Amino acid sequence: MQFLLKRLAFYLVAFLVAATFNFVIPRMMPGNPADIMLANANAAMGPEARAALMATFGFTEGPLHLQYIDYLKSIFTWDFGTSVKFYPVPVTDMLMQALPWTLFLTGGSLLVSFSIGTLLGILAAWRRGTAIDVIASPTALALQSIPSVVVALAGLYFFAIANKVFPTAYAFDPALDPAWSFEFAGSVLKHGFLPIITLSVVLVGGYLVTMRNNMIGQLGEDYIYMAEAKGLSDARVRYTYAARNALLPSVTALALSFGALFGGSLVTEVVFNYPGVGNLLYLGIVGRDFPLIQGQLLIMTLAMLTANFLVDLAYVFLDPRLKRA
Amino acid sequence: MKKTVFAGLMASASLMATPTLAEKSVVTALPEQVTAWVENYNPFNQTTALPSVLHLMYEPLIIFNAMDGGKPVFRLATDFQYSDDLSSIEVTLRDGVKWSDGEAFDADDVIATFELVMGNAALDNQGMAKMLSGVEKLAANKVRFNLNTPSSQAMFQIAEVPVVPQHVWAGVEDPVAFTNPNPVGSGALTAIDRFTPQEYIQCRNDNYWDADSLKVDCMRFPQISNNDQALAAAANGELDWMGSFLPDIENTYVSKDPDNHKYWLPGGSLVAFYLNLESKDAGNKEAFNNVSFRHAVSMAFDRDAMVEIAGYGYPTINAYPSGLGASFHAWNDEMTEEKFGQFTNYDVDTARSLLAEAGFKDVDGDGFVETPSGAPINVDIIVPNGWTDWVNTVQIAVEGMNAAGIKSNVATPEAAVWTEKLINADYAVAINAISVGATPYTQYERGLHERNQGKTRFGAARYYNADLSAKLDAFTQTTDAGEQQAIMADVQRILGAEMPIVPVFNNPVWYQYNTKRFTGFFNADNPVANPAVHKTNPARLLHLLSLRPAG
Repeated sequence: MQFLLKRLAFYLVAFLVAATFNFVIPRMMPGNPADIMLANANAAMGPEARAALMATFGFTEGPLHLQYIDYLKSIFTWDFGTSVKFYPVPVTDMLMQALPWTLFLTGGSLLVSFSIGTLLGILAAWRRGTAIDVIASPTALALQSIPSVVVALAGLYFFAIANKVFPTAYAFDPALDPAWSFEFAGSVLKHGFLPIITLSVVLVGGYLVTMRNNMIGQLGEDYIYMAEAKGLSDARVRYTYAARNALLPSVTALALSFGALFGGSLVTEVVFNYPGVGNLLYLGIVGRDFPLIQGQLLIMTLAMLTANFLVDLAYVFLDPRLKRA
Repeated sequence: MKKTVFAGLMASASLMATPTLAEKSVVTALPEQVTAWVENYNPFNQTTALPSVLHLMYEPLIIFNAMDGGKPVFRLATDFQYSDDLSSIEVTLRDGVKWSDGEAFDADDVIATFELVMGNAALDNQGMAKMLSGVEKLAANKVRFNLNTPSSQAMFQIAEVPVVPQHVWAGVEDPVAFTNPNPVGSGALTAIDRFTPQEYIQCRNDNYWDADSLKVDCMRFPQISNNDQALAAAANGELDWMGSFLPDIENTYVSKDPDNHKYWLPGGSLVAFYLNLESKDAGNKEAFNNVSFRHAVSMAFDRDAMVEIAGYGYPTINAYPSGLGASFHAWNDEMTEEKFGQFTNYDVDTARSLLAEAGFKDVDGDGFVETPSGAPINVDIIVPNGWTDWVNTVQIAVEGMNAAGIKSNVATPEAAVWTEKLINADYAVAINAISVGATPYTQYERGLHERNQGKTRFGAARYYNADLSAKLDAFTQTTDAGEQQAIMADVQRILGAEMPIVPVFNNPVWYQYNTKRFTGFFNADNPVANPAVHKTNPARLLHLLSLRPAG
């Protein structure tokens, strides 16, 4: 219990530090949203109208410490203000509309990459030096080192533009309305397939190598020899004896990578015009939509910290020594 | 806030589409690139209103057709007359026009609209509060706009203000934040048939006064967030009417369906190099304020290469010493061309001798000239990061300037930073664009009139010339065509001699179309008006009215 409290205190501090960075960083960026929008519209707006517009967007130059207090208040009331780019829609609404899609992408690609990576890792360790190990392990590592933007663009080009197997954009067919129907679900899967696969490709290598190394460690243990000596089938020894124990570190890695992936899906969302929070963040940065940037970064911070906290919780149950610490 | 906007994952099964669209003729258009559509039908909101609100939902009073010498096309108005002293304008309104909810349109709507705009600075995009002293009702179909300063240019700006129904807007508490749900308009397309963040469909107004001309039932606006996505959709033949930068257009777009995929890129906004006359660097400032230096810079520019190589041949070259532009050739002053035309020729050797004559020479032996007083010149030319055609244009400019002995480099800040640097005059040289109007007056007034210097991105040269400003003001004091022509000739002579900004080309008006489903598109053989579907182009209404379903 004491361990958990300590961790909670740590997360609170970490959150406040991150939130402060959220506040400072957008304010250090040069440029302001009104001028950018006017430049894009190629409009000539006089200084009076421009000042009025800025005031409308809430850009009143108050003292910094007051702005900071307002900002902290906004965090705890979950009211991030009004988006500039999508004026007058509240930032919270924009983010809540986009969040499910990002969770779907990150969740989906974690599931795919973890399953494939782990399974290949088990097989590669079991049959060390055979074709599967020699081919799968280096290939996965090579794929891991390719920037995800390259994988995404290549996927877009080959499967959506050159061969029109998958759509080039959207989370579902724009002609459909969201509904609990097979047609809609099918459309969501079809539109999500390429983004999820291109995100997964880069991740498989990490899980494969972790799993392979853990497996090899386990295979030398006495209980494996015991199981083999008992005459159990290969598959039984492989999956229910060795893999089960080797899996624990991988599960930790899985939870940790959720946070990283949540931020990393930005590029994929932009390439596939996928309506997630990454795409929103990109737009917010380009248009200097400070409220949107702050809100989005805060949600990312929360996702990261929540994932870490869940790992901590899992450790408590997995490692009894921590309960006493 | 309407919840229907946020039709996300969680929306219930009750929202099933009724497939009646199949029988309608629907033009799919891409007027702008966004990451999500958000309902906002407030026509005064210049920044986040949907791109189909102006002109299509709210009929303009008059459309001034820049491609037809700025001639008026009357829509909600049927006539306008300046008073003899140019201090007021009487506008006659069309009889029998109805709003989309069936109520009659009349002078009260116009007066209420202008009072609303003049009373709310955030809605006053056209500067009406400054321009007008008031609007009077003369009859149910006649109003008079009283001007603070007499001007023959006022009607152009007045016509840009959308007229809204008094019976709806009178009850609006905060017209700035108002998103105008259930819009009531006077335009061709006022009914929102379908709205999702990924696409929306806007259909015809049953009470439209010019319904006979409108042969299209609806326009569909898909959400597309960047040029690559736009190219993919265009190449697939999904878009009927668009305006995006498509690289190598013949191969990437036209070749996918040569019979139907077409484009036309008439000249648009004026692109020029700005030399910051108030540069904080002493050497640069001395150089930029020397007319011979500016002429030499202009002669170091290979404009053909800028257009053909950097711009894929899309822009229209602008070798007018005054930056007039091919679309305003009717205003051209031949004397300016004779006297100063040489300064827009690409000729590095002459540029070098111009510099030498003016006292610029290489004192420290680094191969680049110093100013007559011996100060070093080192020019960073700023261009927004990622605007590839412009970046390559600047690259060509830098090569030419270095060859002529002027030390220069490319700098690519982000677009937001570039804008800010221009407004604050915190740059050495920049590539910049000025939007053009119905006459050359607009670009010159925006870019070079004293009153706009240091106020907007267009006035970033910080060029203060009282004589030029007086000439531009005189232009607004007459409606006589001959007199206007003479004044514009004087303006060109000043600009040719001084060259405060160095014109290179006119940006293309981005416009691509697909004749598979519709015909009647404007093109080089049918150059009726500006063909762009973008929300800054009122003439797009004329374009829409000329479209016919194919077959």
